[in-house]
Amino acid sequence: MDNLIAGQAPVRSRRGAEGPWRTAWRKLKVDRAAIMAFGVLVLITAASLAAPLYARYVAQTDPFATNLNGEIVINGETKQVLEPSTEGLSLGFTPLGPTWDFGPYMLGADNQGRDVAARLLYGGRNSLLIAGAAALICLGLATVLGVISGFFGGLVDTLLSRILDVLWAFPIFLLAISLSIVLISQSISIGPIEIRSGSLWLPVFIIGIVYVPYVARPIRGHVLSLMRAEFVTAAIGIGAPPWRILLYDILPNVITRVIVFVPLILALNMMTESSLSFLSIGVQPPDASWGTIIQDGQGLLYSRPIVALAPGLAIVISVLALNILGDGVRDALDPKSSIRVA
Amino acid sequence: MLVALVSRLGQMLLVMFGISVVAFLIFFATPGADPSARIAGRNASQETLVQVRHDFGLDRPLPVQYGLMMERLFISRDLTSFVNRGQKVVPTVLEAIPVTLSLVFGAAVFWVLGGLIVGVVAGATRGSWLDRTLMILSLIGVSIPVFWLGEVANLITQSRWHDSWLFSWVPPLGYIALTDSPWGWFKALVIPWFTLATLYIGLYGRVLRASIIETMQEDFIRTARAKGIGERRVLINHGLRTSLVAFVTMFGLDFGALVGGGALLTEVVFGLQGVGKLTYGALQTLDLPMILATVIYASFFVVMANFVVDVAFVFIDPRARDGH
Amino acid sequence: MRSRKVFSAMLAGVGLAGLMLAASLTGAAGQEGKPGGTLKLLANAAAGTIDPHINYTLQYFQLNYILYDGLVTFRKTGDKTGFEVVADLAESLPKPEDGGKKYVFKLRKGIKFSDGSDLTTADVVASFQRMFKISGPTTGTLYNGIVGADICLKTPASCTLEGGVTADEAASTVTFNLVAPDPDFLQKISIPHAAILPAGAPLKDSGTVPIAGTGPYMIASYDPNSLLKIVRNPHFKEWSKEAQPAGYPDEIDYGFGLTDEAAVTAVENGQADWMFDPPPADRLAELGTIYAKQVSVHPLTAMWYAPMNTNLAPFNDIRVRQAVNYAIDRSAIVKLFGGANLAQPSCQILPPDFPSYAPYCPFTANPGAKWSAPDLEKAKALVAASGTAGQEVTIITEDTEVSKSIGVYLQDVLNGLGYKTSVKPISQNLQFTYIQNTNNKVQISISQWFQDYPAPSDFLQVLFSCASFTPGSDASVNISGFCDKAIDQKMVEAQAAAVADPAKGAELWTAVDKAVTDAAPVAVLFTPKRIDLISPRLKNFVFSPQFYWIISQSWVE
Repeated sequence: MDNLIAGQAPVRSRRGAEGPWRTAWRKLKVDRAAIMAFGVLVLITAASLAAPLYARYVAQTDPFATNLNGEIVINGETKQVLEPSTEGLSLGFTPLGPTWDFGPYMLGADNQGRDVAARLLYGGRNSLLIAGAAALICLGLATVLGVISGFFGGLVDTLLSRILDVLWAFPIFLLAISLSIVLISQSISIGPIEIRSGSLWLPVFIIGIVYVPYVARPIRGHVLSLMRAEFVTAAIGIGAPPWRILLYDILPNVITRVIVFVPLILALNMMTESSLSFLSIGVQPPDASWGTIIQDGQGLLYSRPIVALAPGLAIVISVLALNILGDGVRDALDPKSSIRVA
Repeated sequence: MLVALVSRLGQMLLVMFGISVVAFLIFFATPGADPSARIAGRNASQETLVQVRHDFGLDRPLPVQYGLMMERLFISRDLTSFVNRGQKVVPTVLEAIPVTLSLVFGAAVFWVLGGLIVGVVAGATRGSWLDRTLMILSLIGVSIPVFWLGEVANLITQSRWHDSWLFSWVPPLGYIALTDSPWGWFKALVIPWFTLATLYIGLYGRVLRASIIETMQEDFIRTARAKGIGERRVLINHGLRTSLVAFVTMFGLDFGALVGGGALLTEVVFGLQGVGKLTYGALQTLDLPMILATVIYASFFVVMANFVVDVAFVFIDPRARDGH
Repeated sequence: MRSRKVFSAMLAGVGLAGLMLAASLTGAAGQEGKPGGTLKLLANAAAGTIDPHINYTLQYFQLNYILYDGLVTFRKTGDKTGFEVVADLAESLPKPEDGGKKYVFKLRKGIKFSDGSDLTTADVVASFQRMFKISGPTTGTLYNGIVGADICLKTPASCTLEGGVTADEAASTVTFNLVAPDPDFLQKISIPHAAILPAGAPLKDSGTVPIAGTGPYMIASYDPNSLLKIVRNPHFKEWSKEAQPAGYPDEIDYGFGLTDEAAVTAVENGQADWMFDPPPADRLAELGTIYAKQVSVHPLTAMWYAPMNTNLAPFNDIRVRQAVNYAIDRSAIVKLFGGANLAQPSCQILPPDFPSYAPYCPFTANPGAKWSAPDLEKAKALVAASGTAGQEVTIITEDTEVSKSIGVYLQDVLNGLGYKTSVKPISQNLQFTYIQNTNNKVQISISQWFQDYPAPSDFLQVLFSCASFTPGSDASVNISGFCDKAIDQKMVEAQAAAVADPAKGAELWTAVDKAVTDAAPVAVLFTPKRIDLISPRLKNFVFSPQFYWIISQSWVE
C-alpha cells in the first residue's frame, strides 16, 4: 500500500505560524462524532477499571471462582445458579438467566456459575490492555523498522523489507495461530523478561508482532518520500549531520503519521484479540477477555445467548468508537492520507 | 520491464521459501509436537515408539526432514498426513479449494456490488443524511468481528427462528457442492457470504466514497461539467472510473488473502470444509505436512495477489513504475 | 484406551436408568427388522487410518468389530455378558494348556474374506506377524507376551514370531505359545488389533486404503474429510450369531465435518441416524425432554481422573495427594459433565460393573463404599501437616469445554487448600502425550481412561505399574509416575493367581484396587456415561459394554 502515500505537506515547526499540533487539535475539537466516540471510549475504560468495585459491591461474587453449588434469592424465590433440568431424563444444567436488576447476576451466569456482567467488565480490562500494549509494541517496532529502512536505504532496507515481506505474506491469522499454539504451552524469556505461559503478555506480544509490516511499510514509504522532499535535500545540501536530519526533519513528520495509526491499530488489535481468544488461543482461563467470554457463550448459544451477545456488542461498540475517533484524528492530522488496515 | 518481472518472481519464491521454513521451525519449536507418540497410539511400548519415529523420518536432522518433506510435497506429491495416516495432503487441499472459492467468490459479488452502491450513493449525496447513515452503517460493518456476526447469524437462523417461515429454508451448517445441487449450494452459502462480505462492504464503500469525492474536485471533472455533461454521467463516466483504480487494487489484495485462508473464521463458524478450516484443524492437531501444504498454498495466493496487483498497477499507472 | 474425542456420556443405580431407557428404545423384544436401507452416521472428524491393526480409537474400534474378526471376540449382545469372550473365526474357545502358556485354535471352515479369498491358517500367522512388522500401537504392551515378540519388537521387518505362532495347515489349527501364563490373553486377542487379515495385506499402514476382512460389512471408500462408506460383504455367511451376526442395513455412510451442534440438529430432524460425538452440554436439557425418546444413556467402564505427579512437589507427598482427594466436591464436577444422570462420582480406580470391582471410597466425609461429600477440614489438616501450602501448582487440561471447566474448578479447590494455582489448557491432541512426558514437569492434569478389554489389569497394571513409567518419553501412560514395588508385586501375584483360579485372582485385584486408591497417585473424579442420540426411524439400538452401539444390529424404517 506504499502507493497511497505521496505528496504530504511537510510538518516543520516554524515560529510564528500556527503549529501542526495546534491545527489538528482545533480541527478535532469541533468534530462532534470524534469527541463523542472519545467519550464512549473513556466510559468503557472507566467501567472496566471499576470491575473490582462492581464485582465486590454489586455482583457480590468472585467472577473467577466457580460457583457450581451456588444459590441466589430473586424476588423472594431461591434459585440455583446452575439449574438442573428436572423434566424427562433430567439431563444437563441451565445457568441462571439475566435478572436485569442492578445486582448479582444482572446478565445471568455462565456454565461455571460465574457472574457474566462482572466477567464482562474484567474481560474489558484485558481486552483494552492487550489492544493498548500490543499497539505500543506494534507502532514502536514499525516506526523504528520503517524509519531505519527508509532512512538508511541500501542493504539494510533490502534486508528489512524482505523480512517484512515474509511476515506480511504469512497470512495473519495463520501466523497468530501458529505462534499462539507454540507459545501457549511454554514460557519464553527475552533477556531479563520472562513471559510465563498463559500470561496476558503472550497475546500482547503476538498481536503486537503480526501487524508490524502493515504499519512499517507505509512509514518506510513515507520516509522515502520525505528523503526526496525539498526541505530534506536542502538540509543535506547545507551539510547537516544525518542524526540531525533524522531527529528534526524526518521524525516529526513520521510521528503525525504514526498517531493517525493509533486508533486504527487499537481497533484492529481488539478484533484480533477477540478472534484469537475465540479460537481459544488468546487469553487463557480463568482470566477473561471479551473473546473468551464469547467462546464460553458459544457453548450456551441455545440456552443463554446473552453470554455471547453481550461481549460481542461490547467489542462492536468499542471498535466502532475507535474507528470514528480514527477518522477524526486522520482528518485533523493528515487529511490526504488514505490509510487502510484490515 | 522483463527483468523487473523475473526479479519480482524470484522474490516471490524467496518469500514462499521463507514462509515454509518459518512454519516448519514453529512446528519443531512446539513442546509435545513430536507426533511419534500420537502416531504410535496410546500406551505404546518404547520399542514401538522408536520404530515409528524412524519410519516417519523424525529421527533425522531437521534440514534433511525439511528437504524430504518438500520433495514429497512438490515432486512426488505423495506427502501424507501425520494425523489421518494415508491421507494424501495435496489432493486434500485441492478438494478444499472449491469450498473456499465458492465462499470467497460469492462474498466478493456481495461486497463489490454493496461497496459500489454504498460508495457511489454516499459520494453523490455527500453531506446529506443518506450519506451520513450509510457511512455510520459502513463503520458498524467494519467494526463487527466476523466470527461473532456468524454466531449471531447462526443463532437466528439455526436456532431461535429456524422454525419460523423466515428461516425454515436454511439448511444445516456445512457445505453442499455446486455439482450436487446448485440450489442447495446457494442456500448453504448465502448466509456465510453475507457474513463475510459485511466488513468489506463497509470498507470498500468508505474508500470509494472518499476517492469519488476527491476525484470530483479534480480539474478534468470541472472541465467535463463545464462542457455541460449531466451530473450523473460525470459521476459514472469520469468520477467512478478514476476511483476504481484504488478499488481494484484493494480487491486484488483482499481476494488473494481470503482465498489464501483469510476466510478461516467464517469457515470455522459455518462448518465449511475449506482451506481455512483445514489449516485450523491441522494447526490444532499439529499435523505438520498439512500445515506446510496449507501455509504454502495460502502464502502463494497472498504473494500472487500482490504480484498481480503490482503488475497491473504498472500497466494502469505508468507513474508507479519507479515507485518501488 | 482413550477416546479420540472426550466422551460425554451416565451411573447411580447403574443399570437402572440405562436399562429402562434401552428397553423403551428397542421396543418389544424379539421384534424382527427387515434388512435394507442406509444408516447415516455423523462425526465431526474422521479418526485417522482405517488399518485395523493400527487404528486405536473408540470411533473406529466400533466399526472394526463389524468389519473384521479375530480368532475370538466379545459376545455381541446388549447386556453384561457382552464382556465375555466367545469363539469367532476359531471353532471353539481353546482350553489353556501347559499351565496357561499354550493355546490351540482350530479355524472354522468355509469363511471367505471380502475379496473372495479363503481364510487359512497362513492368514492368521501373517496377521500376527503383520502387526509387529507395521509397529502396531499395542504390540509392545498387549502382545509382547507371545514367544518371539521381543525379537519382532527390535527388528520388525524380519518378524517371524517363530515358536510363538505356528500353523498346522492340514489340521487347520494355529498354536500360540506364551512366555508366561496370561489370564487376559483371550481378551487381548479379541480387540481389532488382532483382527485376521488376508496374508497379502500390505506390510505398511494402509492409511485410507481399505483392507479386506471377514465381517458382514466392508469399506467401499474412505475420505477422511468427508465420508466413510461401508457396504455389505458379498462373501459373508453368518457362522455364529453371538460372535458376528449378520447385519440389517445394506449400507452405512459415516459423514465427517459437521459440528456437534449441527449434528444434533440433523439427528433430531432425522437427516442422520446417529452421531458419534457427545452432544454439546447446551443441548442436553432439550434432548432429555423433547427428544427423550431418541436418547439412550449407558454407563461406561471408564474414568475421568486427575493424575498427580508423585515425583514432583507438592504431590510427592502422599498427604497432599490425599488432601486433594478429600477436598474435591465430586458432585460439583459431575455438574460440569451434565449432571448426576450422566456421571457418577467415584474415588476408586476400577469402574462400577467391572470385574473385581467392589465399591470403595476412603476420601469422603464418611469413608466407606460411596462418596458422599468432601471433607475440607481433613484436607486442610493434611496440607498443614505436609507444610507445602503456598507452593505453585499448574493444572494441565485439554482445551475442551468440559476439561477446561474441571480444571478451573480444581484450581479453586487447590487455591482453597493454600496453593498458588494456575490452569493451562493444551490442544486435546497434544495434551495426552504432553502430560506423560516427565520432561514437561507436569504436576497435575485432567485425563480420561477408557477400557481396552474388560480386565482389572487394563486399569491397574497399565496405569500404575512401574513398567509403564518411562521417564522422558511421550509414551509413559503411568502419568503419575507411580511406582510402588509392593503393589507391583501384588499385581503380578493377582495376575498369576487368575490363570489357575479366576475367583482368587479377582479377589487379589480388588485388594490392589484398594491399595492403589489409598496411595492416591490420582484423584478419580467420576465414571462417565455415554449418551447416544438416534433418529426416530432407527430401531433395535443394542448397546454392548464392549463395543458400545452394535451398528450392524439396528435397522431403519
